[in-house]
Amino acid sequence: MRWLRFAIGLLIALTLHSLLDSFYPNALAFFNPYVILVIYYSMGGNILGAIAAGVLAGFVQDAFSNAMFGLHAFSLTVCAYVVASINARLALRGSLAFGACLAGAIIVNELVIYILVNILLKQKIEMFEQALLVKTIFTVLFGMLVYQLLTLFLREEPIEATRSKTAW
Amino acid sequence: MAVPVDVIPRRPTLLVIVVLSLLFVLMSFSNQTRYVGETRTLFERAVMTIFSPVPRFVNWVGGAAQDIHYGYLDMRRAVNENVELRRKVASLTTENLKLRQSGSDMRRLRSLLAYSEQFEFETSMAETIMLDTAGRFKSIIIDRGSAEGVEVNDVIANANGLIGRVVLTTNDLAKVQLVTDNNCSVGALVERTRRQGVVRGNGGTIVQMFDIPSLADVQPGDRVLTAGIDGIFPKGIPIGNIVRAEPGQSLFKTVTVRPAVDFGKIEEVIVIHTRKIPPLVVRYAP
Repeated sequence: MRWLRFAIGLLIALTLHSLLDSFYPNALAFFNPYVILVIYYSMGGNILGAIAAGVLAGFVQDAFSNAMFGLHAFSLTVCAYVVASINARLALRGSLAFGACLAGAIIVNELVIYILVNILLKQKIEMFEQALLVKTIFTVLFGMLVYQLLTLFLREEPIEATRSKTAW
Repeated sequence: MAVPVDVIPRRPTLLVIVVLSLLFVLMSFSNQTRYVGETRTLFERAVMTIFSPVPRFVNWVGGAAQDIHYGYLDMRRAVNENVELRRKVASLTTENLKLRQSGSDMRRLRSLLAYSEQFEFETSMAETIMLDTAGRFKSIIIDRGSAEGVEVNDVIANANGLIGRVVLTTNDLAKVQLVTDNNCSVGALVERTRRQGVVRGNGGTIVQMFDIPSLADVQPGDRVLTAGIDGIFPKGIPIGNIVRAEPGQSLFKTVTVRPAVDFGKIEEVIVIHTRKIPPLVVRYAP
């Protein structure tokens, strides 16, 4: 059930990605649906699941963008691991906590990408700070809205659904 | 809030290091292949293939939505254009009808004018404004009266033939007694044989020609004209055609004449001012 939810979430993220690419090209520079999905899934504190979610979502994002294949998978995996590790010790709940984790994850994600691009491609990302700020604001706002809607419709704390009782 | 110990994975760091290392290798490999032209690795191609239905579906939905949107806009535009064109068609049809009417009027007026030029009398044009041909007393009202020089006993005709005579005038209008009226008599002659008689209305749609001897050569189809002997109607105006000529009980034939004019369709008429006829004669005219 948890993986079914993730699969549906991944399809929705890819749909958003396609829609934005079709109608608002370059909009993904200011909004990242995959981070929302991965952080939502990692908030359950299941590190193994979070890593898998980060890798899968990253691969899909890489496959449909012109980045090096594995770049987003790497950065999302790092984010997922960090968030899942924190939530494995501190069970953070509520949309504010989700928003805070999401904001932190976006910043980490962008920093990792910035560093990897610098190392591997020897390129500098232009207007990095501005893009990071806009992306953080838009993604966090949209992510918190999604979180609230899911809480409303699922009638439970959505993170509970992604929580595993078994340790790796 | 504390979390139970069994929820925390035991060796997550090792796992994440392995995964990230593999991803880094994959990235490096991908980065190298970007420069040799192979921009998509096999793995990347596999992921794209698996998830390719999603962008295709989104593209299809987007295309369909755009088609619907633009289709709707086109439909609205077409509907507006259709309404506009219908208005134009109605306007042009009206204009066309008016032009046809004008053309028809012009042809009719030209023929009337040409016809009126035959007369040695002064003529003028008038238009019928009322038509009472259904009653026993057949008359029409024309839009010219004494102010325009129309007088009692002026003859009214059109391009087809004789209509009647003026029996009453006002300043602006004139009443015309039709030849089909019971009280109207016209001196007439048969064009082919020049046989003279008197045409009288009988209150119907046809008229009778009297005073034609039984032995006179009168046949159906013969044309009947005014004879110019009654002091009112000038000579030579067509009255109609004989449709029946039968021997009567006395010395005269019973001759039926169908008027040349369709009295139900009179519009413009010629007023023939017969002023040169002495008033005394006019007074005793039938």
